[in-house]
Amino acid sequence: MTRYIIRRLLLLIPVLIGISIVTFSMLRLIPGDPWEVMLGEHATEQAIAELRERMGLDEPLPVQYLRYVESVLRLDLGRSVKTGRPVLQEIGQRLPATIELTLGAMLVATVVGIPAGILAAYRHNSAFDLATMFGALLGVSMPIFWLGLMLAYVFGFLLKWLPPSARLTIGVEMKTIAEAWGLSSGPAAQSSARIMTADEFFSGFYVLRAILTTNWTALADVLSHLVLPSLALGSIPMATIARMTRSSMLEVLGEDYIRTARAKGLQEQMVLLRHALKNAFLPIITVIGLALGTLLGGAILTETIFSWPGLGRLVVDRILSRDYPVVQGSVLVIALMFVVINLLVDISYAYLDPRIHYE
Amino acid sequence: MSLPIREDSDTEETMGPRSSLFRDAVRRLFRNKLAITGMIIMGTFLLTAILAPLLAPYDPLQQELVMRRRPPSQEHLLGRDDLGRDILSRIIFGARTSLQVGVMSVGFAIVIGAIIGAISGYLGGWVDSVVMRLMDIMLAFPALLLALAIVTILGPGLMNMLYAIGIVSIPAYARIVRASVLSIKEQDYILAARAIGAPPSRILFRNVFPNTLTPLIVQATLGIGTAILDAAGLSFLGLGAQPPRPEWGAMLGQGRYAVFTAPHIVLFPGLAIMLTVLGFNLLGDGLRDALDPRLRT
Repeated sequence: MTRYIIRRLLLLIPVLIGISIVTFSMLRLIPGDPWEVMLGEHATEQAIAELRERMGLDEPLPVQYLRYVESVLRLDLGRSVKTGRPVLQEIGQRLPATIELTLGAMLVATVVGIPAGILAAYRHNSAFDLATMFGALLGVSMPIFWLGLMLAYVFGFLLKWLPPSARLTIGVEMKTIAEAWGLSSGPAAQSSARIMTADEFFSGFYVLRAILTTNWTALADVLSHLVLPSLALGSIPMATIARMTRSSMLEVLGEDYIRTARAKGLQEQMVLLRHALKNAFLPIITVIGLALGTLLGGAILTETIFSWPGLGRLVVDRILSRDYPVVQGSVLVIALMFVVINLLVDISYAYLDPRIHYE
Repeated sequence: MSLPIREDSDTEETMGPRSSLFRDAVRRLFRNKLAITGMIIMGTFLLTAILAPLLAPYDPLQQELVMRRRPPSQEHLLGRDDLGRDILSRIIFGARTSLQVGVMSVGFAIVIGAIIGAISGYLGGWVDSVVMRLMDIMLAFPALLLALAIVTILGPGLMNMLYAIGIVSIPAYARIVRASVLSIKEQDYILAARAIGAPPSRILFRNVFPNTLTPLIVQATLGIGTAILDAAGLSFLGLGAQPPRPEWGAMLGQGRYAVFTAPHIVLFPGLAIMLTVLGFNLLGDGLRDALDPRLRT
């Protein structure tokens, strides 16, 4: 197991180098002079000189690349052309929103997808099975941005059950975690933190923040805002998880030990959940892990529709306003998260099934 | 002792010429109701795209601002958009754009992916290692994000979006072809071809490649659906097809601010995307069931 993890980590090195080359090349491959593209036609000589200096554009390419890698390792992703703030700070402020949304979507997908898959397999070829599978097919065929718009229209506008956009209703106040706990988060803490304080980062997780500050009104408001985007973003993984659970359960339900369990007179619920699901879980876990990664991509569209101030929307906004250092940094961070999630999926796969030996 | 001879139709099918395997697959495909539904949807989509100028009741670009956001009526069955254009006509012409993006980006990805996969699988060794690590790097990005990054570099527009989606799809095809080539290259008939001195390029393209077509066809059918969805997503964000070109994703993107006052503007283009992608998914699943050799046993 340890050997497998080490081997898997070593395999990560070329991928990480590749990711860094791709993100490094992004700014260099943009046609025209990057500084002109970023700063606009009316940029002052001084601004151009500063940007050239910062990006090290006068150096040979390999030197520029090594400088880039070195600065990334120092957690310096450059500064935003638009706001002048450190890129990592901009990303740090948006990341919690995206993580919260992704986890919400995954929760919706598993809570609906797994039971639906189990029931569909249990009632194989029934009307429920057919309906679930057709629903799953629709789920993977549906553009999530369209589903999001329709959900916002029906539940946010027509029925007025849930808020159609944003993360928090204007006027709902929330203390930061440090404020509520009487910890220092003032100017002293801010100046000692290089990019942003831990309080600033963790207070970006609104659900966590509302719970830790015991602000139940805010928690209800935050959760109500989270429902529609989670449903929209969770629709595709919900469909794939339901399909995988069904096919995996169907395979297991035909095994002899299930017949034995039934012959022993065990309750059907016990047979399904303890004997069948436990053994059918491995492929389901894999799909969940892979879906978690792809949700990061889907978040780009969902956040745009629901005015969700996350990393995906940041990327789109900054592509349109040509703030390329932020785009570059965000692409790097999302790719790294994607790689780490895939690594964890692989490791959990080996951990969950001891029969698997990796060579 | 002689084996009993079975005189049922199976004997002819299993022992018969190669074309019977094909006929067998076609029969299985046509027995699958969902696959037929997929074919009907796909056929309708293709016909709509080809016959768009004949089918569209109005000019898809003609604006009539005083009639903007009008709901469906007898004259305009799906209503009018934000600039007073006929939504039905725009959806009909939008099928052309979607077909173009789907077929061209997948075609591009297949050609490049198949060449990369075939060479990598056939040569093996360090070439294979390097190529597969490159593919791993591409797969280390969420597809939509990588496509976004490529569009950022190339600039927004239909053709650039088409390349972006094509490039992002390459690893899937390269891996499929490589896996097929790896399993085929040790077969006796390949050894025989090598033994008679056929050059590697001839073996690759005449003997190996045709045998990788089955998984490629299935992946391509499903891939067109995915490409249409991705293209709609990029156009929705304003990075794909540019106005005034009718494109389903762009129609949703431009109409999204009117969703609460004129939901028909986003309802119908979305339905068109969903139905088309559903058609490709149904057909892709059906093809996989019909062509998968494991199901033949």
